Amino acid sequence: MTTVQGSAIGFQERAGIRRTMNAIRNYSLPILIALVFILASILVPQFLTFETIRAILLATSVTGIIAAGMTAITISGNLFSLGVTASVVLSGVVYIWVGSVSGNIFIAAIAAILVALAIGFAQGFIVGLGLNPVVVTLAAGAIIYGATAILTGGEVVAAQSRELGRFATFAIIGIPLPVFVLIAFTAVAWFLTERTTIGRNVHLLGHNKDTARNSGISFMGTTIWAFLIFSVGLGVAAVLQVSQTLQVQADNFPELTMNVVAAVLVGGTAVTGGDGSPVKSVIGALFIATITQIMVLVGVPQGTRYFVLGVVVVVLVITLHLLRKAGSR
Amino acid sequence: MRSVSTWFARYALQLGVLVIVIVSMYALYPSFRVEASIERLIPLGVIAAGLAVTMIAGEFDLSIASMAALAGALTVVLSGLGLIVSVLIAITVCTLLGMLQGWAIAKLGINSLVFTVGTLVLIRGLTWLVCGGLAISIDDIAASDIFYGRLLFLSPLSATGLLILIGLGIFLSRTRWGRELYALGSSRPEAIAAGVRYPRGMVIAFGISAGCGAVGGALTSALSGSAAPNALESMLVAGIAAALVGGISIAGGRGTMVNVFLGFAIISVLSAGLAGMGAKAFVSQLFIGVLLLLIVLVEYLIARVGERGRRSRLRRLAGA
Repeated sequence: MTTVQGSAIGFQERAGIRRTMNAIRNYSLPILIALVFILASILVPQFLTFETIRAILLATSVTGIIAAGMTAITISGNLFSLGVTASVVLSGVVYIWVGSVSGNIFIAAIAAILVALAIGFAQGFIVGLGLNPVVVTLAAGAIIYGATAILTGGEVVAAQSRELGRFATFAIIGIPLPVFVLIAFTAVAWFLTERTTIGRNVHLLGHNKDTARNSGISFMGTTIWAFLIFSVGLGVAAVLQVSQTLQVQADNFPELTMNVVAAVLVGGTAVTGGDGSPVKSVIGALFIATITQIMVLVGVPQGTRYFVLGVVVVVLVITLHLLRKAGSR
Repeated sequence: MRSVSTWFARYALQLGVLVIVIVSMYALYPSFRVEASIERLIPLGVIAAGLAVTMIAGEFDLSIASMAALAGALTVVLSGLGLIVSVLIAITVCTLLGMLQGWAIAKLGINSLVFTVGTLVLIRGLTWLVCGGLAISIDDIAASDIFYGRLLFLSPLSATGLLILIGLGIFLSRTRWGRELYALGSSRPEAIAAGVRYPRGMVIAFGISAGCGAVGGALTSALSGSAAPNALESMLVAGIAAALVGGISIAGGRGTMVNVFLGFAIISVLSAGLAGMGAKAFVSQLFIGVLLLLIVLVEYLIARVGERGRRSRLRRLAGA
């Protein structure tokens, strides 16, 4: 079949088509967001206000940070972590506890991130042995959820003082700190995955596991690194999330895992590994937050919002898949 | 005799775990009853069977819990037509949706994990729309009574569950279409080259998966007389845990309905036993997570030891 096609269109023309398809795939989402912004600014009266933009950015910050970190796992060919929610809750509980005891939010934040790192290291190690990442992270999620619920007795853990919310309330020129953290973390994650040896190994491993291993790249080591990058983001996001709510309970944030996975997929990182970028995933998260916020403004009920979001995710995922197929032909 | 011993060898790990779980439950909690615990969680067993079919075919259906919730919502909304009729309609609609999903996955050649993350949200949204955003209940409370009768010694619920497991077991092991799912799961390019129709396999696998999810959801709603837009979300993790603890391979091509039954029995005895002892639901979550991780690790170690043995045998042959 390919020979027939090959004779019909020349090699150079095919390369041209491939370039065009890849360009469309890389720039389609930013263009789409821009279009949605312009349309919403014209059609939805309250959209182009400082409050709305601020709300969108704040909603993007938590999912965006986790999605940027998870992109490292996806690029390394280890699909996703399906235990996001449980880990965020545990880190959040640690933040409130350490914060209440020490009275210092920085010590509390570091403790929360360290806990996330420990959990991530353990999962990265087990996945690095060669076990299926979906199963491992699902099981880890159940264990962490159970352990957190036992530790807290299933009760709400609330901050004693508003001091613990400083990370969320602190703002520079009216823009809250989480937005700056999102930008900074995305930059770090981008640098780590695109400009360092670790990042190159992550890409190569995701591209072709066997070849990477034969060239001396450690599957175990690289997988653990990917999980550590993810865990830093997870810990940071947990601190920001709990700073906003000032309380946390074992069964909070049930939709977080799927939102993060959806952001990574909509952003255009390939689940097969080897191709993607944390920046893309953050843009994916931004897109989802924008659509949701517009629907809230227009007064769409929750059920319909969920449905529309589902349609958007399915359509985008299919479109990206078809573009990738056309681009690699 | 030989076939009996190979049968036991095949399921030894899961049978061992099941015996340990049952014995420790009786030891810790003497008034424990195995039958009661299994019966209460039958919808979970059916959902695990659906997940197992897609795993055997080398795919993954993350949308199954949403499909179950949709079937539950449809059952309640349509209950004016008679409960059995509405259950059947709900199951039919969801099975057709599942077949459509399988067809789309095959035609697009897309990773099913990716596609079903999208449909997980989409079908959950559809459930919200069907429910009108609220928890809903059947007007005629007496309608669910027919599901509490007895057929010989089985409740209608366990009879349905058993029939589905046996039916799927026969379909997978004795029919051509069922065998083809194993072929697609274990070595897809070879299977396709040998003439297995990949699109048909996907339509069948995802149709069965959605159908099983729908049976689980519709029966749950028919028994409780209610449905909610955010119901049954935990069924996804519990169902995957049951299938994998039972010994279905996530890599595809391996596992039977006996595995599903054993996994379901282990999980349900464990969670029912813990609940009976007064432990909260999250404690059984912890145990299920640990068990899942342990079983996957043990299977991994067994596979590695087996691989090493095979290699040393080959080396000896090469040396001799």
